[in-house]
Amino acid sequence: MTQQLDLSDIQGNVIKAYGRYNFQKARYLFLRIDDGEKGRKFIGAITTKVTSALPWGKPGDGSAPPIPQATTNVAFTFNGLQALEIPTASQRGFPEDFIMGMAKRKDILGDDGPSDPANWDKVWKEKVHVWISINGQSIDAVKKRYDWIQEQIEASNGGVVLLTGHRGEKGEDSLPYQDASVLYDATGMPVPKEHFGYTDGIGDPVFEGQTNVAARVLGRGKLMRDGTWLPLATGEFLLGHVDEAMEYPKTAPSPWLLAHNGTFMVYRKLHENVGTFNRFLDEQSQIFDGSKEMLAAKFAGRWRDNGAPVVHAPDDVGKAEWDRRYAAADDAGKKKMLTDFTYNEDIHGAKCPFSAHLRRINPRGSLEFGVSNAYDTPGALVNRRRILRRGLPYGEVKDPARDDGNHGIIFMALNADIQRQFEFVQQQWINYANDFKEGNDKEVLLGNHDANNPGKVVLAAEPGSGKPPHFVSNIPRLVETRGGDYFFIPSITALKLIAGGIVDPT
Amino acid sequence: MSNIAGKAYAMNVITPIRWYMTWINKLIFKTALSNPSTLKGLVTLSLIHYARWVIIPRDGFPRLDPSQPKEELNYSYMLFFSNFNGSWDQYVDSFTFAIPSGLDLFWKWNVRYPKSVPLTPFHNYIRHNQIDTAHYYNAYPMASSNDVKSAQKIKKALINFNTASADKPPEEFLNDYNKLLNDMQHHFGDMKPTPIVSLSADAVRKRYLQIPE
Repeated sequence: MTQQLDLSDIQGNVIKAYGRYNFQKARYLFLRIDDGEKGRKFIGAITTKVTSALPWGKPGDGSAPPIPQATTNVAFTFNGLQALEIPTASQRGFPEDFIMGMAKRKDILGDDGPSDPANWDKVWKEKVHVWISINGQSIDAVKKRYDWIQEQIEASNGGVVLLTGHRGEKGEDSLPYQDASVLYDATGMPVPKEHFGYTDGIGDPVFEGQTNVAARVLGRGKLMRDGTWLPLATGEFLLGHVDEAMEYPKTAPSPWLLAHNGTFMVYRKLHENVGTFNRFLDEQSQIFDGSKEMLAAKFAGRWRDNGAPVVHAPDDVGKAEWDRRYAAADDAGKKKMLTDFTYNEDIHGAKCPFSAHLRRINPRGSLEFGVSNAYDTPGALVNRRRILRRGLPYGEVKDPARDDGNHGIIFMALNADIQRQFEFVQQQWINYANDFKEGNDKEVLLGNHDANNPGKVVLAAEPGSGKPPHFVSNIPRLVETRGGDYFFIPSITALKLIAGGIVDPT
Repeated sequence: MSNIAGKAYAMNVITPIRWYMTWINKLIFKTALSNPSTLKGLVTLSLIHYARWVIIPRDGFPRLDPSQPKEELNYSYMLFFSNFNGSWDQYVDSFTFAIPSGLDLFWKWNVRYPKSVPLTPFHNYIRHNQIDTAHYYNAYPMASSNDVKSAQKIKKALINFNTASADKPPEEFLNDYNKLLNDMQHHFGDMKPTPIVSLSADAVRKRYLQIPE
């Protein structure tokens, strides 16, 4: 490790995917600040409970604090930082995308039709200034922390308002919070799934300064010419650190202490049209040469049941074989099987289609199209486009034949540069495909498919086999944006500076 | 004025180069052209529609009319002209990290060229020497060069298929047709309008075409 991070300064949600530590429940709050001074005092109070990225000890070993019952993290929109009265010179240092906010970036993101901000939850018509997240080991732990935050809001004496307007489980449209939860199987065990049935959250990027990098970097860092993997540069995900371009991220505001160890977060509430998805998959699998599960896997790049990468389990027979090896592997071996792969042996996409979600969001070395040593490094077009993904599913599927329930994903992407990383992937790789030489073919699951002019994708066959590729046509809009914004997650030092009203870029 | 038309971004960059060093660049260009593998990075970058480098000698700038006074230039100039996908801001990273040594080689003898990594000085150098596009005509605004290349391949393959297979019995015809689909499977991308890569360029376009907000 060449880089030691100050984990006590970095907010915990940046480094840790809480779901991996058995935090099964989450609640997201959005607030408005009506008075700068009272608002700063409120942030000061919340900061006392903000969870850092320090590692947790095992219960009873005394070496480090044990896992808490609930965590709390805080982030701000640009308007929120203005409401907290940080100096104009500091405001000016923030990037254009963050200043504008997500709704105004709808044309970049393809948030049109049912995803248009006009159709978002009502809360997004309010002035959203502050995001507070609570992750809990139980719903009771979440509620307890929520009650404590409400006390702080009360104590702000009108300085801070908790915004209402979230859609909920029983058709409500004015809830004061967004709840999220892992999904459970029939026996009540938590499962790492989302509402379409896919296994989620497997291959988050690994960067310098994280712990235990060597064991996790395979398939998750940056691919080197010799086939090895190295962690990505810290500055791709944390401001104030050197990035892959060998410089400090340009998106950082001044002073240094305001930016250092902070990052940007994209928060999106993504509704999943479960009924449409199930119908579409059923219809399409009737004309597909393979099982329904195989087709579902071709959409995502992973099999739904256990996340097996399609590139190593390309069809039903290959999947059975992969499952046998997976069952025989130890824990480390299982992890390796899930993440350690490239598309080198599948450069034509006959196994994992170019349009598969996984290949689109992280093409690994495949944008060299098999031309040996085409670029300086195999990940040349990829290493600057990675995002950390956080979040949980929300809601419940009560009727798998319907779209109109309350079910989807709270998706959070963390990156140092929203425009270069998240927005680029969303626009150029999910909603467009020139980089993949697939014209305007959008990714099946997340693409903003147009009902009036629906798109298609081509699932390639083995080249030279004489077999036709499979055309997946008339793809409906499977996922719709229901709200969201761009946030700045400051370091804990920066939180204290903001709360103290002592940010000074001079 | 916009550097964007349809799916293409036009880039004109003109950079001074010491006149007595231009022979090196000409040699480099010649070597690159006669040895295509040196350009494989550039060619593999599917975002690039077109790229050309030209040396303009210091006494080689055209005059509109003999009465236009001749300029005394201290430097020769290198003109870089390219059309590519997206925008410069979006794709500068892809250029820089895919072919840094190629970029450095082509610009090495240019005055004050900073090298391609770190990125910001390179980005600023190009932007500083870029001549924005005052007039930009794009005959096929929905096409990128990949779309054009694919369309050409499909057209040729279809004509050949028609010649060879049109009169075959149904079973053989189907075999040939499936083979055609297999051969062409990477050329079936939809051709639809470009994603909006720049909100300001889009606003300019909408005002020009008088599309209501």
